[in-house]
Amino acid sequence: MRAGDVYGFLGANGSGKTTTVRMLLGLVLPTKGEVQLLGEPMPKAARRVLPRVGALVEGPAHYGHLSGRANLALMDAAGPGGSRRTRKARIDTVLEQVGLSGVGRKPVKAYSLGMRQRLGLAAALLRRPELLVLDEPTNGLDPQGIHEVRDLLLDLHRSGTTVFLSSHLLAEVEQLCSRVGVLDRGRLVLQDQLATLTAPTGATVVETPDPQRVRAALDGRVLELGAGRAVVRGEDPAEVNAALVAAGVPVTGLRLQRPTLEEVVLAAASTSADRVDAPGERSRR
Amino acid sequence: MIAVELRKLFRRPRTWVTIGLLNALPVLVAVLLAVTDLAPRPGEGPVFLSAVLTNGTLYPLAALAIVLPLFLPIAVALIAGDSVAGEAQSGTLRYLLARPAGRTRLLVAKLLSVFAFVLVTVVVVAAVGYLVGQLLFDVQPIGATIGGAGGTTGLSGTTLTPADIVGRTLLAIGYVTVSMLGVAAFALFFSTLTDSPLVAMLGALGILVASSLLFTLDAASSIAPYLPTRYWLAFVDFFRVPILWRDVVRGLALQGVYVAVLLGAAWANFTTKDVTS
Amino acid sequence: MAGRRSGAAARWAAVLGVVAVLVALPSLVAALPASEAGTSAPDLRRAAVASADVAFTGYAQSAGGLSLPVGDQLTAVANLLSDRTTMRAWYRGPADWRVDVVSPTGETGVHADAGGTWTWNYETATATRTAPSPLALPTASDLLPSALGRRLLSEAADDELSRLGAERVAGRDALGLRLVPADQASSVARVDVWVDADSGVPLRVQVFGKDAAGAGAEAALDTAFLDLELTTPSAEVTAFDVPPGAHVRKGEDAGLVQAASRAGRDGDRIVLPAGLTGLARRTIDGAPRGVGVYGRGITLLAVSAVPRRVASGLHDALVTAPGAVVDDLGVRISAGPLGLMLVDGPEGRMLLAGTVSLDALAAAATELTGGQS
Repeated sequence: MRAGDVYGFLGANGSGKTTTVRMLLGLVLPTKGEVQLLGEPMPKAARRVLPRVGALVEGPAHYGHLSGRANLALMDAAGPGGSRRTRKARIDTVLEQVGLSGVGRKPVKAYSLGMRQRLGLAAALLRRPELLVLDEPTNGLDPQGIHEVRDLLLDLHRSGTTVFLSSHLLAEVEQLCSRVGVLDRGRLVLQDQLATLTAPTGATVVETPDPQRVRAALDGRVLELGAGRAVVRGEDPAEVNAALVAAGVPVTGLRLQRPTLEEVVLAAASTSADRVDAPGERSRR
Repeated sequence: MIAVELRKLFRRPRTWVTIGLLNALPVLVAVLLAVTDLAPRPGEGPVFLSAVLTNGTLYPLAALAIVLPLFLPIAVALIAGDSVAGEAQSGTLRYLLARPAGRTRLLVAKLLSVFAFVLVTVVVVAAVGYLVGQLLFDVQPIGATIGGAGGTTGLSGTTLTPADIVGRTLLAIGYVTVSMLGVAAFALFFSTLTDSPLVAMLGALGILVASSLLFTLDAASSIAPYLPTRYWLAFVDFFRVPILWRDVVRGLALQGVYVAVLLGAAWANFTTKDVTS
Repeated sequence: MAGRRSGAAARWAAVLGVVAVLVALPSLVAALPASEAGTSAPDLRRAAVASADVAFTGYAQSAGGLSLPVGDQLTAVANLLSDRTTMRAWYRGPADWRVDVVSPTGETGVHADAGGTWTWNYETATATRTAPSPLALPTASDLLPSALGRRLLSEAADDELSRLGAERVAGRDALGLRLVPADQASSVARVDVWVDADSGVPLRVQVFGKDAAGAGAEAALDTAFLDLELTTPSAEVTAFDVPPGAHVRKGEDAGLVQAASRAGRDGDRIVLPAGLTGLARRTIDGAPRGVGVYGRGITLLAVSAVPRRVASGLHDALVTAPGAVVDDLGVRISAGPLGLMLVDGPEGRMLLAGTVSLDALAAAATELTGGQS
């Protein structure tokens, strides 16, 4: 991935997303190959690189008996860098950013799931990281919360933070990311700009109550016929529309065909990795 | 890093509950002794307990002797076993390491914070023992000189001045603290092996039970000098005149070896371990 | 990054290496060779016997495997010979020393001065003053290797002695000396004494009974210094001041010896022979008439009249003990090299005890009773 991206890292459950994230952070050691983070080898350069990275891995974790503020202070003090003098100000800022500035001294064990998620995000932001590594950041959030987090991430991105977002929620990735990678059983099977992946295919989708008449009107250009719709070759919906109207075919809707991210991912990745088929069965598929 | 670990440890209610419970038994014993006036017969029960009815100055030591065989090791194993495995279980370990808190640094900080816990615990037990001893038992007047009225009679029949008693009690506190470091190192090592604090604690306690059992077995006498619990009671030797250093020195060396080896093993394991919790 | 994977192996190897070194260290130290001086056996014995003036500070342990079924009469002695006893010793001279028996929760110290001994017991907070007595039951201080070694070697003849090699005892070079008693009656197979090459102080004494004299046999009694420094301890250490609040008692001879002397006083009819089963009677100044000690060196037999009250308790204890031989002569039993017999004599019961075989005890009993009736 490149600096400045919002990178969506997709894959089915068990495809290796979390392990990859852990490798990036130096928590798990690769059996083969090398990991580079911000251009430096991991985990060798962990002390140099990790302070520039904020992370949220597999849900937040905190010391339940301490307040959110105390948790952040401890986390900040645990690693190198992060001046003691600016600590309080930085904590205030991140709590404001994630919308927790009003919680005060309540211990974390009294927090709701969403509040913990926000606090985890706050901890990741504490060092003003160049790179945010987020694993399922919207878990446990209500729709408003998801919306807020999305806005926050877009804000951060605009101010120059690179975001690495690992998720199995396609909608989330589709709305946020500029670049997408798909992981299948531990292998990266696809990686491209989101715009490229979902670029028009050169066909037009026609919605009509009578698809058979589309075939009659535009014989040879029809790629696919279905109930109430037909897919026709042609990159200009206006041109297709004109041809259909001229032939007297009723048209209720017309749009350029774009693959959804879901289709792209399904095409690239095979079966869900937590599905365990008998060997014979799998070969038949 | 060490400051962070200490803050984590001592701002945790459980730490203080543990220390509080640890003190409950010596206080209960003191109250019962004071109420019933029934001291154990000389040579029976925990060391020094038979002497406290006539001289409360020795109660800090009696209190240590009461908690030393079981309660103190359990408390130490609990805290040390929780140190790494507890963070792994709650998930905070991955955030600490991604912070990044270096693995070796984290381990050393954990060890030192456990040491601090042991020291605080032993000092609190001794301090509570001192208070209880002063309140509930007769105390010889301070300022007595050798041969005069008062003073405390040591094991060798020599009168110890209050200054002597204070000095030797401090030595004993230090020695008991060091004695617990072996337990702490065992629990810390197990704590890096497993993600369950309970397993780590039970592992360390298992070692202790096995060690205490082997110590009583004549057939195991050839390995007895290397058992971690072998020299625990040597703090009594500070109250002989002259002080019998032999077992004390061996106890210190033995604990040093256990701490070094187990910390080495914990380091070898933890710094190369996949953190998947 | 595969480096850390292989790093794991390297780290574990380092840790295991340290463990291996630490485990091997004690055996390496123990394997340090002891240097052998070519001292002859008689010279070594003389050096050992003459070492009574060598001052030292030491830490010793004795382990006895002799369980004496003697009931309440001799508990202290029985414990001494059957248990592991840990002692600290400060020795300034034959009449100025201190031996502390150390237990995990207390100690019993014996302080000797020219006029006798003070015995301090911490558990009971008792100080006991005892005057020197010609006949006394053994105490822990008699088990100190230096004292025991000198006593056992004191009357050894040159032809009973042979040299063993050298060994390290208490970190010092010790020369081995073996004593095999010539007397037929003896129940001791041999005594091995390891004598400090520099000072002549016996560092380790092992007594082997004839019942277990094989090569790998356990010593019936094994006492050795674990630490020894040949420095003169300060007089403060061996001196004893009665601590305030302590009970002070006047020492008395053990009940059995008292009883024997009483029995001796009352029973003027008892006349002990000049020799028993080939062992000559020894003269001991101040000993009661009813007590006789026979033999020489390490083959000794003590004979004493016992009052009826003491005798019946002892008799009950002996009869029920495993391995006891009961016949017309009385009851006899052996524990390692120690033999004990209660003889039913015409003038009342007599106690025979010593390092003689059961057969010798029976022979002595026959002579005693036969001579009287």
